[in-house]
Amino acid sequence: MSMQTVAVPTTAAAAAESEREQTARLKKTLLQDIGRSIYVFRIDAGGCNGCDIEIFAALTPVFDIERFGIKVVPSPRHADVILCTGAMTRAMRRPALRAYDAAPDPKIVIAYGACGCTGGIFHDLYCVWGGVDKVMPVDVYIPGCPPTPPATIYGFALALGMLDQKLKAGQHVEAPDEQVAISHPHVPYTLRIALEREARRMAGYRQGREIADSFMTLLDHDDAKPVAQRVAEFVARENDPRLTEIVRSLEAICTSVGTNP
Amino acid sequence: MYKLLKEAFRTGNVTVRYPFAPLPAAPNFRGKPHYEPEQCIACAACTIACPANALTMSNDVAAGTRTWEICFGRCVFCGRCEEVCPTQAIVLSPEFEMAVLDRADLYQTAEFTLASCRNCATPFAPRKEIDYVVALLVNAGLPEADAERRRAMLEVCPACKRHSEVVREAGSSGSGWHQIGVTP
Repeated sequence: MSMQTVAVPTTAAAAAESEREQTARLKKTLLQDIGRSIYVFRIDAGGCNGCDIEIFAALTPVFDIERFGIKVVPSPRHADVILCTGAMTRAMRRPALRAYDAAPDPKIVIAYGACGCTGGIFHDLYCVWGGVDKVMPVDVYIPGCPPTPPATIYGFALALGMLDQKLKAGQHVEAPDEQVAISHPHVPYTLRIALEREARRMAGYRQGREIADSFMTLLDHDDAKPVAQRVAEFVARENDPRLTEIVRSLEAICTSVGTNP
Repeated sequence: MYKLLKEAFRTGNVTVRYPFAPLPAAPNFRGKPHYEPEQCIACAACTIACPANALTMSNDVAAGTRTWEICFGRCVFCGRCEEVCPTQAIVLSPEFEMAVLDRADLYQTAEFTLASCRNCATPFAPRKEIDYVVALLVNAGLPEADAERRRAMLEVCPACKRHSEVVREAGSSGSGWHQIGVTP
């Protein structure tokens, strides 16, 4: 567990160091020899309640986080894990710190949600401290806005040492002859633009791009079958009246531009 | 009681087996943004679209590089980066297992080289972006020689373009397109 002390007041540096080592050791013991359920206390340090709803969704029978012995308790005095949501606002900073101090010492702090991790979408607000780790040492970060119940389960499993971390810091440096591939180079440029525009107009931006992409893949495909048949098969396979209408409209554009679909 | 038990047996087990078995993501689920730096032209459209400033870009003019960075801890998974990306370099994947122990693992960066202006030698635009524009012109039907001639125009920074335009408008033959060797 990584320990970052940010706002824990220290009197003597050496004493604090030994205290920190002690806490780290105790934390390891907590994970190995706990022999009972993990008690979680939830702090909402200025969140929108989205995260809290997902935490409770993780407690429902569908995800049932209690089958791993993870229990939400109403008092920080019982807590082994402090689950902190919200962007850590100025008003909630002190109550959050009080709850942190009230929890008995080998404790794990989990920063939950985009706001808890970094401040999220509120990171540059005047009243926001920007993340749980600005006021207390955080052991596990669970990103998401909000994290889904499976992401919550994964985060707890990571905190309790049951699963391994998947996400690693990545760094890419451009290679000297790196070139970007043009998508669907065989579809004429003007047609490509017209198709994408129409699909995005009809289906909304993100889905429109996806639909235009799959349609142009059909056009691009090097196949013995005629394009019209491939499109018909695609429409039949997807079996979605909304998609059918959009694809018909895209076909009409192909015909009007002059490429025979 | 009997009714309840009957209902419970009828419903059966609803709990997902998730940590022990992979969980299939729902269609249209927006998870971790999957970034392919090879496909990125560093145009910064995503960083402008990002409402949470999870995507950021910074230029280092002295080194001639542009650094793209994503912070998964700040991302709100809205998919706007995917919407605006012209080359599909960033796509939201169904991946949701993003919890980390160390905050540094939430960051992913990519470094791109900037092309220098032919006129004033200041780095101003990513090399890959200019290459992509030329490739797009060729793909749109422009003869290769013409596209390469346009490259000379593309590799001039906006400030120099403005300057040469003003000079040309003023009727002077100082520095300008004549010097670069391109007729705009």
